[in-house]
Amino acid sequence: MNTLSGTNYFEMFGLAPRFTIDLNSLEQSFRKLQIELHPDRHASHSETEQRMALQLSTTVNDGYRTLRNPASRAQCLITLAGKDESTAVLSPTFLMAQMEWREAIAEAKASSDIVALEALAKRLKHKVNVQEQDLAAALDERSDFDAAGMRVNELRFYEKLRVEIDDALDALDN
Amino acid sequence: MALLQIVEPGQSAAPHQHRLAVGIDLGTTHSLVASVRSGTAQVLPDEAGRALLPSVVHYKGEGEVDVGWTARDDAAKDPHNTIVSVKRFMGRGIADIADVANLPYQFIEAPGMVKLKTVAGDLSPVEVSAEILKVLRERAELSLGGELSGAVITVPAYFDDAQRQATKDAARLAGLTVLRLLNEPTAAAIAYGLDNASEGIYCVYDLGGGTFDFSVLRLTRGVFEVLATSGDSALGGDDFDRAIFDWLLTQHKLPKLSPEDMRHLLTVVRLAKEQLTDVAVTEIRCSLSDNTTINAILSREVFVELTKPLLAKTFSPVRRALRDADLHVEDVQGVVLVGGATRMPHLHLAVTEFFFREPLTNLDPDKVVALGAAIQANALAGNAGGDELLLLDVIPLSLGIETMGGLSEKIIPRNSTIPSARAQDFTTFKDGQTAMSFHVVQGERELVSECRSLARFDMRGIPPMVAGAARIRVTFQVDADGLLSVSAREQTSGVESSITVKPSYGLTDGEIAQMLTAGISSAEHDKHMRALREAQVDARRLLDATEAAMAEDGHELLSKAEWSDIWEKIYELAEVILLGDANSLETLRKNTEALNAATATFASRRMDASIRKALSGRQIESVDL
Repeated sequence: MNTLSGTNYFEMFGLAPRFTIDLNSLEQSFRKLQIELHPDRHASHSETEQRMALQLSTTVNDGYRTLRNPASRAQCLITLAGKDESTAVLSPTFLMAQMEWREAIAEAKASSDIVALEALAKRLKHKVNVQEQDLAAALDERSDFDAAGMRVNELRFYEKLRVEIDDALDALDN
Repeated sequence: MALLQIVEPGQSAAPHQHRLAVGIDLGTTHSLVASVRSGTAQVLPDEAGRALLPSVVHYKGEGEVDVGWTARDDAAKDPHNTIVSVKRFMGRGIADIADVANLPYQFIEAPGMVKLKTVAGDLSPVEVSAEILKVLRERAELSLGGELSGAVITVPAYFDDAQRQATKDAARLAGLTVLRLLNEPTAAAIAYGLDNASEGIYCVYDLGGGTFDFSVLRLTRGVFEVLATSGDSALGGDDFDRAIFDWLLTQHKLPKLSPEDMRHLLTVVRLAKEQLTDVAVTEIRCSLSDNTTINAILSREVFVELTKPLLAKTFSPVRRALRDADLHVEDVQGVVLVGGATRMPHLHLAVTEFFFREPLTNLDPDKVVALGAAIQANALAGNAGGDELLLLDVIPLSLGIETMGGLSEKIIPRNSTIPSARAQDFTTFKDGQTAMSFHVVQGERELVSECRSLARFDMRGIPPMVAGAARIRVTFQVDADGLLSVSAREQTSGVESSITVKPSYGLTDGEIAQMLTAGISSAEHDKHMRALREAQVDARRLLDATEAAMAEDGHELLSKAEWSDIWEKIYELAEVILLGDANSLETLRKNTEALNAATATFASRRMDASIRKALSGRQIESVDL
């Protein structure tokens, strides 16, 4: 099994290790790698080659997923810098805000208010955008990994909220 | 089987023989087989020129089995022994089957998957499906004039692991080498994409006889990347028939019908539904066994009204897939309609209104999946023209593991691109704990009880430690067929105990072997001959692959000594195959293993070359895969 940690993913896709990346060139490198390494490309080859293709293709998929997602991309950079995110403690203000979000989602869900849920999704998207700008500044300009670790933790909370909103929309749809 | 050709050392190999590979659409109501011939994918018809094969299997007793049109016509006469829509039972327990009471079959609860009581004995849906596949295999071999080297079998994108495993088992039972399990909407996209050379975001709305799939894809120069998929594996055209059927029962205040009458009326109803595609009003006429006659007029308006909830039900998966792909209706460049049920005019209209555009229907919605599968099969077999195409598919449902409190911890989330692997660490709960139980589940719900249980396994031999000290890493690997394997390993002590589980719905190799030889008296001898044949096929495949690889880059990547060593092993193996001695099983396996070992370094150099090619123009030294 290949290592599943995010370390060398930037190099794998030919990208500079920065938070701000060109998603188009990430996608292009991803396709280029899979065109050579995907198990389908080795289906008529020996079993050994097929096994290797499965492993390499799996790693490429993992790397692509890691770099495409802003939180895991940032975490990848923090790990590369030898830092750990777990030291970052979320502020009480942030946690309070989280509780308010949760309540708003629960309320909209309880009253089957799709419009409200969609408005919340929009607001959340804006929050995430701001967060990503902060991450870009912390990582690419200031190399402030502690601040970045904090932002990553917060971003993960936002991702969970996003899932909650989507699940609520899904539940109302059925 | 053609005689094996051996290339003289030093000569470049002869151009590759065209391998016979087919795509099979194993549908709920109909199945088809297609193949690429002279560069184009074509459906292979039966001797009467019919492309479709009704997915109906009639067990007539005394070992006689009838599959297809006559079986379908006989369904009303012998409903208990005529299995219709068996796909609905694949990888399913009785509790999963929605309308058990309304079906004319005698179900038997068996571990993992239901069985059906028939005149031919208690049969697994895998065995019934294998009968359909066998007929298609024979049709293809007759039509293509040779033994098939492999097949791509399509499955609904929303099929879970148990259903996929059951499909693969059925194919093996039918004597097919499965090149790949391919998702039906992805297959349809291939057929369309290659025809139209499309680029951009495309959606596939696939309403089959018994399943609904919806996939969102991004097409970029021959690469088909599935961004999200969703669906309902228990919703299809059959349910639209059932809606009319139920309406008739209420209208005519009919009592519960006998299985014979039910099957008969369902057939009449299906024809009426099909007529409503072209006409506004149709008449339903059916005489039952007690001589009552059902006479009814069904208008399109009434039909639309009756099936509105069913149609509406398809759009929640549509919305969810778009949300998962983070896309809006405006981002979609085209929508493809697949499956016979999409011929219904009100469905066509509903899709048009949802996407603000006319869906694409220029390919026959019944054939498009088989055509796409044939194109993929041709590529996987290594035939010319296949290197333009790459599919990147996803798993439809999250895979997880049960944790404290009966909750599912998701390890691989839905819509992850496959192949995919993820690991999660677990630890012991009590001091000195030496064993741990794992429960693998699939589904989106938080509670394990609401997810599908795929497998349970115990890990033993954990060295005694204080609670929380052991680190057991559980790794989920999903291969390119979308099939899961799970392994666990204790990390801290250096003691390795690793296991791989196959989902409990899957059949073990032993069970398949047993099914293959069931009913044959000289089972021992047959088993041996089958094992020998399988070993020969495997050996031939390896020889083929090695010879092709040697011709491609043997001179470039191998030293002289390595090169001759591999050729020597090739000759040794080829000789055993050529002699075809009935007692050569052991030698065959040994020589196959020897060639495999001799080519291991070569294989890894070839993969390195692939990586270099992908990264051409970039720094390679820093890449550590």
